[in-house]
Amino acid sequence: MAQRILFTAGLILWASLLFGEGTLPRRGGTYHYTLGPSDPPSLDPAHITDTVSHAVASELYDGLVSLDRDLKVQPAIARRWVVSGDGRIYTFDLRPEVRFHNGRSVTAEDFRYSFERLLHPETQSERTWILEKLQGAREFMAGKASTLAGIEILGPHRLQLTLERPFAPFLALLAYPAASVVPREETARWGRQFSTHPMGTGPFRFREWRHDDRVVLDANPDYFQGAPYLDRIVFRVIPDEMTRFQEFKAGRLDHSDIPTGLFQMVRDDPTLSRTLFSGPSLGINAIQFNLERPPFRGNPKLRQAFNHIVDKEAVAAVILEKRVVPARSILPPGMMGHNRDLQGYPYNKALATRLLAEAGHEGGKGLPSLTFHYNTGLVNRKIAEFVQGMLREIGVTVELREMDWPAYLNLLDRGDVQLFRLGWLADYPDPENFLTVLFHSRNRGSKGNLSRYANSRVDALLDRADAGLSPLERTRLYREAEKIIVEDAPWIFLHYYSTDVLIQPRVRGLREQISAMDSSPTLGNVQMRMVWLETEGG
Amino acid sequence: MRRYLLSRCGQAVPVLFGVTLIIFLLTHVALGDPVRAMMGQRADPEVMARIRAEYGLDKPLWHRYVLYMGKLLVGDLGYSYRQGRPVSQTLAERLPATVRLAVAAMVVAIVLGMAAGTVAAVRHNTAADLLMMTFSLLGISTPVFWLGMMLILLFAVSLGWFPISGYGDGALGHLVLPALTLGALQSGYIARMTRSALLEVLRQEYVRTARAKGLSERVVILKHGLRNGILPILTLAGIGLGDLLVGAPLTETVFAWPGLGRLLVAAVGNRDLPVVLGATLLFALIYLGANLVVDLAYALVDPRVRLTE
Repeated sequence: MAQRILFTAGLILWASLLFGEGTLPRRGGTYHYTLGPSDPPSLDPAHITDTVSHAVASELYDGLVSLDRDLKVQPAIARRWVVSGDGRIYTFDLRPEVRFHNGRSVTAEDFRYSFERLLHPETQSERTWILEKLQGAREFMAGKASTLAGIEILGPHRLQLTLERPFAPFLALLAYPAASVVPREETARWGRQFSTHPMGTGPFRFREWRHDDRVVLDANPDYFQGAPYLDRIVFRVIPDEMTRFQEFKAGRLDHSDIPTGLFQMVRDDPTLSRTLFSGPSLGINAIQFNLERPPFRGNPKLRQAFNHIVDKEAVAAVILEKRVVPARSILPPGMMGHNRDLQGYPYNKALATRLLAEAGHEGGKGLPSLTFHYNTGLVNRKIAEFVQGMLREIGVTVELREMDWPAYLNLLDRGDVQLFRLGWLADYPDPENFLTVLFHSRNRGSKGNLSRYANSRVDALLDRADAGLSPLERTRLYREAEKIIVEDAPWIFLHYYSTDVLIQPRVRGLREQISAMDSSPTLGNVQMRMVWLETEGG
Repeated sequence: MRRYLLSRCGQAVPVLFGVTLIIFLLTHVALGDPVRAMMGQRADPEVMARIRAEYGLDKPLWHRYVLYMGKLLVGDLGYSYRQGRPVSQTLAERLPATVRLAVAAMVVAIVLGMAAGTVAAVRHNTAADLLMMTFSLLGISTPVFWLGMMLILLFAVSLGWFPISGYGDGALGHLVLPALTLGALQSGYIARMTRSALLEVLRQEYVRTARAKGLSERVVILKHGLRNGILPILTLAGIGLGDLLVGAPLTETVFAWPGLGRLLVAAVGNRDLPVVLGATLLFALIYLGANLVVDLAYALVDPRVRLTE
């Protein structure tokens, strides 16, 4: 009897492993990945500023640390680290078995080279801010020092980084692609063209790049964290969202994004809805006021009136097909410090009318002609028209002006705007990346604070929070700062972003990994080495 | 002939010089700061200033133009700001895909357009004429985005005859739908031109003579009609080929075709000025070349035309 029970149990286990959710991962196959509309501008970590390049680079390179699905810092090339009591000195022990794709072992010296390369003026990196907190970084960047004082080599596989002053998100910053290790011999060999001949330590190796068509990576069987299940990834550049959608439906893409306006259709479709993944994203969309120009300068009631008349629930429901959550604050859900108690500015026409009158502009009287700028994009245009209509309800007339992204950024830098749309996606999962970058007065202008908000009390709170060592204390300080900022209403807080992806049923190990730092269709934080394909095809 | 060619090449020099000047001014003045576009949303002004200086963007405009022309005269188109690669390499990479698509589309356009135009002219003022001209009008006025997507849905998604998109290592199957989409537009123009040119010729005395001699209608149309009416069609096809060679960004976008059109649109969007300048210069060369080829073809087709300086 006991034998029969054991035999039956074994049979069930075998069948469940073979056919069920617990099926053992299958090795082999090519994953067809779409990068969306654009070719990666660069695969040199020192020049990566966009999610497209990030998605490819994250499979080619490693840094000292990486982020897991819950956005916690986890070991990568560094197997462990110690932070000094004052929060300034980080000592890393590196794994000795890590090798570049050319076979050479990675040492602490390679990190010194990679970090100095990033900051060196000759590299012209757009991402120097990743490491500018290191001691002596400013002097090194200005060419006043020949070495970077904040890096010390303690042994072939031991590295010490010293910060100018304590900076709590520093470890999360090190997970950014710009802090990856690169082989000196390859960067010297290729010079600026290293961007198209990338080589790192990652789970996949560079094979081919046919510009504006595809990038192909092959599995690295010697990867120090274990070989990928996949043999190859083909990253395809497909500019049109409807074409991507058709390619996905035909099974020629293993995941894809959803074309604008089709989210509801996908959700209602019995087949497509089974392939849908929706999750929150660490990002916020907003309409910002220029606080250095009239009529919004020094007039919080006017800004609050504008906030109350814009119906964020309607924007989320009508324009964005309920794929996003209306915003009531700055820090999105999933971010440390997100405060559910903040109520933001719900739609309230009566209150908006009253606040407008109290601001000295009853029924819109006395307001100068207003222009609302936004960057090119169908959703942006729809939102702008929607907002224009709602403001008209309280007698405010705004003219809409659309611009392409580079011209738009130049305009915002100059501050020649009154009212403008601008979103923000997290570079790293820390409140500092939202509150300090976007609202600290030292970052006014192109450094991030484009609404030019300035509040000395908020600055002081943010400075303390950024340098804090206790997560609880930091959370408390950020929440206090955020509450003041929301009350000051420098923005109209529209909605938090979401990530919506269609994933083929044969793809395994992807859904479980998508985090709030991923955006669709480029899932830059996902580790593709953990993904496998249940069947051939595509 | 040789002197004619040399003279035409000589005429091209001031044209190209003018093109570089106009495009240089337009890109540097109208497109604004390329460094800001490279930096992303968060940008340190000090770092931007350093990169601007490195690219020479802090120098006066005239100085930058002189430097650019100095390099251009020795065949150096500079380096892409975004990818750090030589612009000449970037352009050379896209040319095969662009030429394949342009030639295939032109073949489609000539075959469809001349056939439709001939039928319309021969069956003048009949239902067939109306049908052909309606189709040609549809070809001209249908947005390529829409037509491309309809062809994808029918031939790639429903019937599965062709791939949906991509270059596919140059496989012929990948070329069919983009060539049909792009060719349909040009075929409309060619059909209308063929019809009017043929109608004009078919009224001539020598056509009546040919018919009176007892020649078959096929010989009359093909030998006496089309051959004599082909000059304006040739001009249209030549310039049309020039249009197709400088890229068809919309068709390339729908079919994810890695051609010059998308390259230029992306370079403008990214403010990659060296690529914008290089691509525009190449386009000017292509147009000059297309015009020259049309003029040479005149002499081949029509013995009455003599090429002089």
